[in-house]
Amino acid sequence: MDKLAQQLREDANSIEVDVSPQLDARIRASLAGVRQETGRTSSGSTGRAPFWWASSLTGIAATVAIISVINLGEPDPEPAITQPPPQQFTMPQFTFKPKAAILTESLQQELDAIQSDLKKAEQVIKDDFDKIGI
Amino acid sequence: MNSETALIAAAKCGSVAAFTELVASHRVRLLRFLVTRTSSYADAEDALQDTLINAFRYLRSYDAKWRFSTWLYRIAINNAASMRVQDTEQIGELCDEESGPLEQCIAVSERENLWISAKRVLNDEVYTAMWLRYAEDMSVTDIAAALGRSVSWTKVNLLRARQQLDAAMGGSKKKAQASEAYG
Repeated sequence: MDKLAQQLREDANSIEVDVSPQLDARIRASLAGVRQETGRTSSGSTGRAPFWWASSLTGIAATVAIISVINLGEPDPEPAITQPPPQQFTMPQFTFKPKAAILTESLQQELDAIQSDLKKAEQVIKDDFDKIGI
Repeated sequence: MNSETALIAAAKCGSVAAFTELVASHRVRLLRFLVTRTSSYADAEDALQDTLINAFRYLRSYDAKWRFSTWLYRIAINNAASMRVQDTEQIGELCDEESGPLEQCIAVSERENLWISAKRVLNDEVYTAMWLRYAEDMSVTDIAAALGRSVSWTKVNLLRARQQLDAAMGGSKKKAQASEAYG
């Protein structure tokens, strides 16, 4: 053993401590009231294994039985019949005929004329929608 | 079957008397260790009591592949650590290191006790490793098990701790020589 190790050992032994009778009594009294925890032992785990296996198998069997009963009791559902959408719901094709604006009047009159045309166009579109039932 | 094994078997069956006999030889050593790890002597005593109670409570989970003392020290280390946390939370940094329980338990001598020097230069975990190695004469494997560290970590930190302690001792010797030289 080297010098440092020897010195460390000596210095550790020079630390003076003592378990007093009071502390000893305290420890004994505490130990008397302690309930040991059950450790996880191999016998404990094997003892529980059959229970878990049994409950798991029972659960699986019950599930299979319920599913079978439900499937046997109900007739096969009829296949859903899908109908094509009615023709009237298809969007109509609009033909737009753009015209170049020719300014022949004053700007205010032209604006009034354009707004009037716009209202007429809106009315035509509304009528078209009413015809197709939208 | 040796006596320790027989006592462990009896204690596992709930015999307090067997357990008391089993730990009788460890109590003073554990208390000495706990004095170095707690902030007061009363705390060290409480930590010893908690360690022994926990050891008895969980004795059935003790694995015989470890030495019984290693297992006991592992519990003691955890108890001391939790007690230090509680102390820090309660009194913060008010604890005066100069008047700790370790200093109170050492007779006055010319040379400073190395464990006081070690406390200054080493962190808690490395200090504990040094204690287990040199005060308890534990093997590196047992120390690693007690600390929950790898063997290589333990070896490396023990070596570094020795170097740190050597350096600290060298520094204090030089200081002492210098103070003698200058009166």
